[in-house]
Amino acid sequence: MTGSEFLSRSAEETIAMGRQLAGRLNPPVLVLLSGDLGAGKTIFAKGIVSGLGAGKEEEVTSPTFTLVHVFHNHFKVYHVDLYRVEGFHDLETLALEDVLAEPAVVVVEWAERLSLRTDWPSVHVLLEHVDDNTRRITIS
Amino acid sequence: MTTRILGIESSCDETAAAVVADGREVLSNIVASQVDIHRKYGGVVPELASREHLRQIVPVVREALERAGLGFADVDAIAVTHGPGLVGSLLVGITYGKVLAMALGKPLVPVNHLEGHIHAVLLEAHAAGREPTLPAVCLVVSGGHTVLYDVQPKRSNGTPPATSFRYRRLGQTRDDAAGEAFDKVAKMLALGYPGGPVIDQLIGAATVAGALPDADAVRFGPTKMKGNPLDFSFSGIKTAVLYYVRAHPVLHPEIEARQAALARGERRADQLRPLCSTRTLDLIASFQKAVTEDLVSRTLAAAEESGARSVLVSGGVAANRQLRRSFQEEASSRGLDVFFPSRQLSTDNAAMIAAAAFPKLLAGELADAQLNAEASLPLA
Repeated sequence: MTGSEFLSRSAEETIAMGRQLAGRLNPPVLVLLSGDLGAGKTIFAKGIVSGLGAGKEEEVTSPTFTLVHVFHNHFKVYHVDLYRVEGFHDLETLALEDVLAEPAVVVVEWAERLSLRTDWPSVHVLLEHVDDNTRRITIS
Repeated sequence: MTTRILGIESSCDETAAAVVADGREVLSNIVASQVDIHRKYGGVVPELASREHLRQIVPVVREALERAGLGFADVDAIAVTHGPGLVGSLLVGITYGKVLAMALGKPLVPVNHLEGHIHAVLLEAHAAGREPTLPAVCLVVSGGHTVLYDVQPKRSNGTPPATSFRYRRLGQTRDDAAGEAFDKVAKMLALGYPGGPVIDQLIGAATVAGALPDADAVRFGPTKMKGNPLDFSFSGIKTAVLYYVRAHPVLHPEIEARQAALARGERRADQLRPLCSTRTLDLIASFQKAVTEDLVSRTLAAAEESGARSVLVSGGVAANRQLRRSFQEEASSRGLDVFFPSRQLSTDNAAMIAAAAFPKLLAGELADAQLNAEASLPLA
């Protein structure tokens, strides 16, 4: 599947794109975010979570420390960060199988480290640095 | 009569146990750090952390009791951290605490890790014969948290340390915690883990050697944010460092050299400093200055807004020397008293958990066998 490509020129635009994507998401779905440090993965996740009405933008922070944040609307929205995850055993301790036990929206940062098998539909979002304020966002 | 509380803390990568008498006197304070285990990953690896906690919890608790000269029967209550933190790590301390309380027939007191950090400052103040005047503003700043609270007395069960507090969250980070930004920048520049202490030491070592780094060499733009002006954001500064490194290929060979040194186990500041160019030292000094100035200015703005009389600073990043200096200078020029924990009590420990549990025990705020880990447990 070919992706649609967008240019974001500010954090606000990246949040707006996350909100737009949120409008097309129906649980169960995985949103897999990839991109370098500072590419805007957490910012994009702010848009998704707030667009789903599950939390406020300012409540969505980096989950690097606790690895999984949970938000609620009619369904659960998980915000997962795999920055520190090394290998399969770590994924087991995140209890992602439990996360996937009921329909939810699961947003995963550093998704390239995810080796979990699931039949859930998924959306891939790649965020790339273009310059200081500009990011290329590819959704596929 | 003395009340002795055994505190247990396992929310992240330290397995800790301590005995504190009457919420004030630290009889023992044992911390088994896992930092060496997690170093090669540049951060805490949850699977390894839980396994280490399991290995350490029994000997650490036993040592805490031995050092206090007590047996299990002499303890009046068990206090345990139930969040926020890594669920797998928290569960080790909670399960052990629950079983211990049940077996001994002692009360179990649940403690929020963040409230523990606030009590770490109070423990230190008591030890120095000082008492912060309330209301206070407390900044908890670590690898996992950057949050500002207004601290008011709730009800007085007598005098401190028996006072319960009421908390109101004034601001918090919108993205990365300050300690997380230190860790990520240190990883980018191959300075080792954890990032905060090594950056602080490198700047200190260069200064002592007469090569004072220029903290104004790299300018980071001000953090622009809509909404609550007391919220923090460190993701922008972290990204600015990344861009700086990319824009200066001259830094790349020394980054590789440091990577090789770290791989050989040479991770002390005095070993890494000869491998750091002036440009690198200026960069980390500028980064540290930007982060500390941001922490200090928003905390003091919060103090002004809430009418605080004292400023409390706690958490791992509170050990940073530049942060302490600028807080001392800026707060005293505004007539505010500023309080820090000792270095030992800045990072995660169980003495602060046992101290925070004392007013809760007196107020009957206890847990039963249903107590569970809460990864994102809020304090307010």
